[in-house]
Amino acid sequence: MIFGVRHSVVVATLLATLGAVVLAVLTWKGSQVTSESFLVTTYIGLFLGALWAMYATGLVVVYTTTGVFNFAQGAIGVFSAFLYWELHVNRGWHSILALFVVVCLFAPALGVTLDAVIMRRLRTASLVVQLMVTVAIMVLLLSVVGDIWEADTPRRVPYLFGINNGIDLGPSQLPWHRLIVFVVAIAIAVSMRFLLRRTRIGTAMRAVVDNRELAALNGARPNVVSSTSWALGSMLGALGGILIAPELGLDPATLNNVVIIAFAAAAFGALRNLPMAVIGAMLIGLLRAHTGAWLDFGPDFRFAHLAVAPLILLFVVVALPQARLEVGRLAHHLRRHERYTKWWEGLIGCGVVILLAVAFSGGWLDFGIWDPGAWGSRELNSANEAMALALIGLSLVPLIGWAGQINFAPLAFAGFGAFVYLKFAGDSGNGYWILLVGLLCAPLGALVALPAARLRGLYLALMTMAFAQAMSLIFFPHPWVMPIIGTGRQFPHIELFGVTFDDRRGFFLLMVCVFAIFVYGLVLLRRSRYGRRWMAINDSQAAAATLGVPVVWTKVVVYAVSASMAGIAGVFWATVSGNVDSVQGFDLLIGFNIVLLVAAAGVSIPMAGIFLIFIPLFKGFGLRLEDAGNVDFLVTLLDIMTTYGPGLMVLGMVFNPRGAIFEMGRGFSPILPWRRDARAEIAAENAQKREPEIGELGIDRPFTPEEVIAIDRRLGILDEVVPKEGYGTARS
Amino acid sequence: MALLEAEQVVMRFGGVVALDNASVDIDIGEVTGLIGPNGAGKTTLFNVVTGLLPPTSGRVKFDGVDITRATVAKRSQMGIARTFQKLEAFNTLSAFDNVRVAVEKNHRAKWKHRRVGDVAHEMLGKVGLDEVADVTVGTLPTGSARLVELARALACRPRVLLLDEPSSGLNEDETSSIGELLLGLVADEDNELAVLLVEHDMSFVMGVCARIHVLDFGKIIAVGTPIEVQGDSAVRAAYLGSDEFRGAYVELDE
Amino acid sequence: MSVETETPLLELVGIRAGYGTIDVLHGVDLRVMPGQVYALLGPNGAGKTTTLGVASGQIQPHAGSVLLDGHEVNGVSPDRLARAGVCLIPEGRGIFPNLTVAENLRMSTYAGVSYKQVQERAFAQFPRLEERRNQMAGTLSGGEQQMLAMSRALSTDPAILMLDELSMGLAPIIVEELYEQVSSLAEAGLSILIVEQFAQAVLGVANEAAIMLHGRIQRTGSPEEIAEELTAAYLGMT
Repeated sequence: MIFGVRHSVVVATLLATLGAVVLAVLTWKGSQVTSESFLVTTYIGLFLGALWAMYATGLVVVYTTTGVFNFAQGAIGVFSAFLYWELHVNRGWHSILALFVVVCLFAPALGVTLDAVIMRRLRTASLVVQLMVTVAIMVLLLSVVGDIWEADTPRRVPYLFGINNGIDLGPSQLPWHRLIVFVVAIAIAVSMRFLLRRTRIGTAMRAVVDNRELAALNGARPNVVSSTSWALGSMLGALGGILIAPELGLDPATLNNVVIIAFAAAAFGALRNLPMAVIGAMLIGLLRAHTGAWLDFGPDFRFAHLAVAPLILLFVVVALPQARLEVGRLAHHLRRHERYTKWWEGLIGCGVVILLAVAFSGGWLDFGIWDPGAWGSRELNSANEAMALALIGLSLVPLIGWAGQINFAPLAFAGFGAFVYLKFAGDSGNGYWILLVGLLCAPLGALVALPAARLRGLYLALMTMAFAQAMSLIFFPHPWVMPIIGTGRQFPHIELFGVTFDDRRGFFLLMVCVFAIFVYGLVLLRRSRYGRRWMAINDSQAAAATLGVPVVWTKVVVYAVSASMAGIAGVFWATVSGNVDSVQGFDLLIGFNIVLLVAAAGVSIPMAGIFLIFIPLFKGFGLRLEDAGNVDFLVTLLDIMTTYGPGLMVLGMVFNPRGAIFEMGRGFSPILPWRRDARAEIAAENAQKREPEIGELGIDRPFTPEEVIAIDRRLGILDEVVPKEGYGTARS
Repeated sequence: MALLEAEQVVMRFGGVVALDNASVDIDIGEVTGLIGPNGAGKTTLFNVVTGLLPPTSGRVKFDGVDITRATVAKRSQMGIARTFQKLEAFNTLSAFDNVRVAVEKNHRAKWKHRRVGDVAHEMLGKVGLDEVADVTVGTLPTGSARLVELARALACRPRVLLLDEPSSGLNEDETSSIGELLLGLVADEDNELAVLLVEHDMSFVMGVCARIHVLDFGKIIAVGTPIEVQGDSAVRAAYLGSDEFRGAYVELDE
Repeated sequence: MSVETETPLLELVGIRAGYGTIDVLHGVDLRVMPGQVYALLGPNGAGKTTTLGVASGQIQPHAGSVLLDGHEVNGVSPDRLARAGVCLIPEGRGIFPNLTVAENLRMSTYAGVSYKQVQERAFAQFPRLEERRNQMAGTLSGGEQQMLAMSRALSTDPAILMLDELSMGLAPIIVEELYEQVSSLAEAGLSILIVEQFAQAVLGVANEAAIMLHGRIQRTGSPEEIAEELTAAYLGMT
């Protein structure tokens, strides 16, 4: 400790400062710094900071008062901004009325509903489920916005009181709107601080997170208190969204990305300290404004100034103290016999998948709804795209599903894999280089894992997210990394065993085969000592450590495995999407979607990967139906299923945290002739359900012995010595 | 020389002193008891000894070597194993796999000439869990899950075994068979084993322990044989009240 | 006896309760008369804390009824009971560690006493708390934390007070100080149900005592009678 500050903080700050100075010297634009230009830049920075401070305030308030880190905070803002536009611009309501309806009526209602339906049940869920569910809410809200307000019309949210009215500030004019934003942001932060510290309801909100039972013993109504917290949180999100929208334009993705900057600001205050979060937001705002004004990173790093927030988030998280070894959580929804997939079952499963893929894509199956025939290029395009995403998704199974390590950066690893492949295989597309991709991505995974291994789950999620964002802003756009962007050149076709996979169906089948190999590898891995060890550190790190398992090293290994799988998958993903725009293809939002899909399917089961194939199949069906005409209803249905399905299914994780495949497997496995164990389990469950109701208390007929036992159990006297036979029979 | 020594261990959490110069030593071939009222700091001492908590001050020595700064995994490899008061079994794994994780980790060093599965089955057999080997531990009753933890600890072939309330959740028969198992393990000279037992079931403690340490708000207030400890006035004060009240029990001393 | 005709303030009848499917209490009957100090003693794991959980509404019993002043209150939420005057100070420091001392006191105002009064009474009883009013409760010493927890009982005029292991892990001198507060509350006529392992301090205050073992009340009687059986029950000398 130096002056009471942790070493890690000091080291990280020094490194960051040093890096910033070196960077500044290297990239100095050379424009003259006058007091006037400096002031204007500072004013822009403070204004940006105020905008982000509003979002950060909402995040911190929700986290301190509910204990849930809400990834959907930004999406609530997006939805509210669109609703405000609808009411104010489209329907012509007065801005104050529209503002009131959205912020004071709609937002609290949304918050209370979220709490009552979902959040309340998340309190005892594992962190993975908590995070997945808030991410799912984010994705769902964004999809709803996309569906209601189609992207084809350009929309603008006007500034309050117009952009041209305001105070004259000498060199420039300060519009009322910006002044209001600044004042409101500060006022909100101050009043929230007051609410949380100086009022009883605010105190109760924090108390409920500390100890819900004790709060009830004091006489506070825990459910009412937490609903209030969510209502408040979503009001703050709504206000933030509406006030930011005029600046950024009404684009869902852009507006939603603001939340990442807010994450960085909130991390400044260790996610709980409101004043620090506001200061963090202001700092990031100033940094952004000044780097934009004075530094020039050149065309190669044209997005680098946007990476200020993710980089700060990375630094803050790395400077955090090491987490103690956590004790495990209760695992819900366990089966009495958790069963390993047998090696030959894995083979059969993979074989069936490959056959199905061949049959579908070749048009061998006739469903009578449409003209049978091979898939056309449109179907194959969408199938290839989804198949490549499914491959990336599989890389999350060991990492999230088994070891419980959250990772929002699968696409960053995938992108790195594509980059390595491009560098080594060049234009030839020699497929054997894919093996080298696997080898080189492993160290990158390990590198990310080293700081991650010492962090708690939530910070881990934030760190991987910041890593993904930094990669897609700094690394991927560099022309040396992805030289094919904008040149019209194609990502090279893969060539393996003397075959060039240049037709879409061949490429699709190649991916299906790689998919089967991945799944089978996972089946074997799950059965191995490594699979067991990963499950063990997920259940209890402390216990694993006391058995001699090196926890940090184990996490590093699982990251390396996952990164290498993602890297290989990335080569296919780049081949599929490379001719469009690679940078977009490695974007964070798509990463979120992959993580959600896998979580919804059941992230702990290797066979869950098969589920991901349904998405390309549905897409293929949809396109085919569209061609056939007259089945609008079905097309819409399939469209809704592919858009909202994953998000809705993740919401289902609240009740069924192990995902869809797990439940489907329970229903399906008894059909398999060799699964006697599954049939026995179903029979045992049914027997339990058939336990008789006590009913008419033996009036119309004498009790049977089972009923006597049921009554005893109901009355709680089963532990007494009950003469099980003869008791009921004596009566009859 | 004692196999494991905790010397003058102090552990502070904020303003709370959980351990206040506590010293404990345990010897090979004995079960040593550690008793004390609720919140006396027994589990904290276990956490310090196994490395889950770094002590504010004080030292932990194993076989004469200072291990105060060794990692948890390193201590495990040296031969310190434990169970937990609040269950820390691997809930999503079967009982067999719980033990297997431990055997696999220690296979090269300690079970070289035997197959992993055989060792795991033997350990489960020792605690009487052969029949539920395939059952997911999270679905087992608490008492059985505790036994899984014990089997897992034994699979590390420990030289020091720290048991945190192994009998809670077990019935009397099961408790006494655990007692016999422990006595058998320490009596076997090949094992060179020392056991430290935290327990609330006093008849169990008095039955198996050769020596008992009594901890009371972080301080060791008595060390001795079960008979000595039962007769110790400080111990009675810790459990029942302070000295003035002892008059009421004088007649029970005989 | 005249006590028989009076309505007990708290009565548990045939309570069976536990966590999940496992029962911890196997039929507990217990009555606390108005003005009585009832000490429930017993070793760890006997079910004492579960009994208090049932009485305060935190745990729903599988069988039996909970009566407060003659009214059945099975299924009433703990916060409603708390506002009605049931005050439970739970085991292991009933405080919010991430709230300051003053904020902890503010949480006591749900029972109807104003914040100002709660503060006045708490600080009058425990002046040390006033010195630390803006400190996080988690950074207080064990004794100060327990004083803070106790101040809810002292400042909110409860109808019945339940104390769970008040003395756990505290130095005797602090325990003595806390029990002085308890006995002055008892003298003022408050009904108190105390759960303790540390028997001496309680038996000095109580006028009725019971030993609990294995989820059942084994014996009730005067504190003197119960004291004689405690050694055997605690130290396994049967």
